[in-house]
Amino acid sequence: MRRVVVTGLGLITPLGNDVASTWESLIAGRSGLGLVSRFDASAYDHPIAAEVKDFNAAEVVDPKLARRIDLSSAFALAASHQALADARLDMTQEDASRVGVLLGTGMGSAHQIVEQQRILDEKGPRRVSPFLVSHMLPDTATGLVAIATGARGPNFAVTAACATGGAATGEAAEMVVRGDADVMIAGGYEAPLQPIYYAGFNAMKALADHEDPAKAVRPFDATRNGFILGEGAGVLILEELEHAKARGARIYAEWRAAGTSNDAYDMVAAAEDGHGIAQAMRLALRRADLEPDAVQYINAHGTSTPLNDRVETRAIREVFREAADDLMVSSTKSMHAHMMGAAGAVEAAICALTCHHGIVPPTINYEHPDPDCDLDYVPNEARQAEVRVAMSTSVGLGGHNSAIIFSKWEDA
Amino acid sequence: MPEERRVVVTGIGILSAVGVGRDETWKNLLAGTNGIARTTLVEVDDLPSQVSGEVPDFDYSTYIDRKGARRMDRFTQLAVCAAGEALDQAGLDTAAEGDHIGCMIGSGIGGIGTLEAEFDVFFHKGPNRVSPLLVPMFIPDMAAGQTSIRFGLRGPNYNTVSACASGADAIGTAFEVVRRGDAVAMVAGGSEACVTRMSIAAFANSQALSTNNDPNTASRPFDIGRDGFVIGEGAGILVLEDREHAEARGAQIYAEIVSYGQSADAFHVTAPSENGEGAARAMNLAISKAGIAASDIDYVNAHGTSTPLNDKFETMSIKTVFGEGAYAVPVSSSKSMIGHTLGAAGGIESAITILSIRDQKVHPTIHLLEPDPNCDLDYIPEGARDLGIKYAMSNSLGFGGHNSSLIFSRYEG
Repeated sequence: MRRVVVTGLGLITPLGNDVASTWESLIAGRSGLGLVSRFDASAYDHPIAAEVKDFNAAEVVDPKLARRIDLSSAFALAASHQALADARLDMTQEDASRVGVLLGTGMGSAHQIVEQQRILDEKGPRRVSPFLVSHMLPDTATGLVAIATGARGPNFAVTAACATGGAATGEAAEMVVRGDADVMIAGGYEAPLQPIYYAGFNAMKALADHEDPAKAVRPFDATRNGFILGEGAGVLILEELEHAKARGARIYAEWRAAGTSNDAYDMVAAAEDGHGIAQAMRLALRRADLEPDAVQYINAHGTSTPLNDRVETRAIREVFREAADDLMVSSTKSMHAHMMGAAGAVEAAICALTCHHGIVPPTINYEHPDPDCDLDYVPNEARQAEVRVAMSTSVGLGGHNSAIIFSKWEDA
Repeated sequence: MPEERRVVVTGIGILSAVGVGRDETWKNLLAGTNGIARTTLVEVDDLPSQVSGEVPDFDYSTYIDRKGARRMDRFTQLAVCAAGEALDQAGLDTAAEGDHIGCMIGSGIGGIGTLEAEFDVFFHKGPNRVSPLLVPMFIPDMAAGQTSIRFGLRGPNYNTVSACASGADAIGTAFEVVRRGDAVAMVAGGSEACVTRMSIAAFANSQALSTNNDPNTASRPFDIGRDGFVIGEGAGILVLEDREHAEARGAQIYAEIVSYGQSADAFHVTAPSENGEGAARAMNLAISKAGIAASDIDYVNAHGTSTPLNDKFETMSIKTVFGEGAYAVPVSSSKSMIGHTLGAAGGIESAITILSIRDQKVHPTIHLLEPDPNCDLDYIPEGARDLGIKYAMSNSLGFGGHNSSLIFSRYEG
């Protein structure tokens, strides 16, 4: 059985445009939320979002390409370049056909489609950009990363709404396990802060409302009232263990297993009994050959909607039973908000960093305990703790669930 | 380590321009029926491309009630109905085994029709009138999501996107899911409903679509006069099942899925890599993973889009892989009759490849009147043919440089 380790990370998040600054903010318990600045949102009372700041696509990709590509693709390219550099993977020394790219996204190139739709409406079909097709698809970024890095191995995108990042990371790791690739550039990206999508999410009545943007996302708190859209990308270099060892790579953590499932219940709401997410967690534990009490930390989906946090807590209790009281469970969405298709990947990276550093990031804005949410949510302050096994859970519209497990790297 | 599981096909559902349902589609393909006609789903008078492969008289009511249908984009409706057909044939006990049956349905762009309609609302009536269902109807994973809800499939579930290879990657990924034991069966394939003004305008302006508006010659893969693809829609969904599980319940087995190879060109966002190098790598990977030789492949269902570049480079890649043997392998393009169904293509064409194995019969490439000298293989231009098939391959090649090859074989126990 081929083992898979994490040898590089790349992060573009509302908390920072690299791994170091994002991690530092997470540990300091800082919020990355603010008022929407990306578009005119004056139609809303409290237009809150977690935007990536000071990001200039032209600094990370060819300036000519930067003008043409969607913001979402730019996030994906930036995080992929960071992750490869962090892994010190020299593509000129690799068999490029053994390096693949699998990145997930919930919606793909949101900005491009909407801009071009306006042109179609106002100026007619002949004015639609000839570059639209190649830049609007959810797999556009995986193709661009392959072109930019030369990675010629397996290449496609995975979408599972808000469970995308976890599903993509898990499937990429399976490709390494089964020998289709030795290295996968894997993760998720999203740039959903576009007026029509914001309007769509607002119409769903799913977005949080609060006068202070920094306090808008309050996972597991009794007063929580919705999620907030975030944006960015998370990329992990998943590498076959012997391949990593042979080149003396630094190892953050070992990938252990993933599980996915579907509630088969409702296109929007999670099933109240949490059976779907529980099933994904059980499958991941079974595939990792771990008992529930082996897990110390769960980076929860924890969106801060009344339903999600209650259902997720119930599912954790159902799977972990008495071990649930010893678990540390935090929602880092309290700081970076809901990065949609990027969320599972960013949170997978956070799990790898948690195992590596022995520090658990907190759930901030936790003030009022909810009787339905009665786990140890690592409230408000980071905690020093040895984490031997960490799990990241994700739950998406359409009933998709994913659970992915990492363990602290120990050469044995 | 446990012995590797084998995976068989126990259900097939197809909705295409030549038929609503598996049997009608297959009968018409064998007869060489052209499904391309003037577009009726949207106004096309001001568009450069005015023909398409629409699913004729699509009626969702067998599997979806009217209220449910209003909450689904057409690509999701097509997927649910094709999945229903496949599941009806397979006869799986979804009520008892739903936890162990998953779903993967690829789509290139998802609910683009819904997005276009809601953009109209947004633009003319303001943000507060946008539907709360915009996001859940548009996102491309919803075909897999709604299919799971409709049929109670609670196992592994997501959507793969790789442009025109999406459906093939869904089937390949689902095959690996069953093989590694994460599910006993997967409902897998592709779905697309892209006959919309935005899709047509965008593909036309990228010079990919045929501007020949004569439905009888617009889609003509490998012909010297080809000038682009004809957009199509539809869904092709399979039930993939652990062989032992299928045998134990006495299921009818149509074929075995034996291998999946995937590669990236890492070359250009729209053009295929020089000489079809990436496509050749995917085919070679699939052949070597199957533990067979290229000469064992008896039939290739080509990507064959009818664009000048694709058909030339795909032909070259087949020659790279098969060597001199390339001239002895019959190759046909279903797109000559149903158009290019984008993310659904890999699903529909896998289904067609399996039916070819079941019946030991291959369908023709129609509209191939004057061969391109660069395309000199046996494309079965004269009509359907009886053919002894042990192994058959389905190729899918997508914008962005995604290449997928699936190999199916006659099931012999």
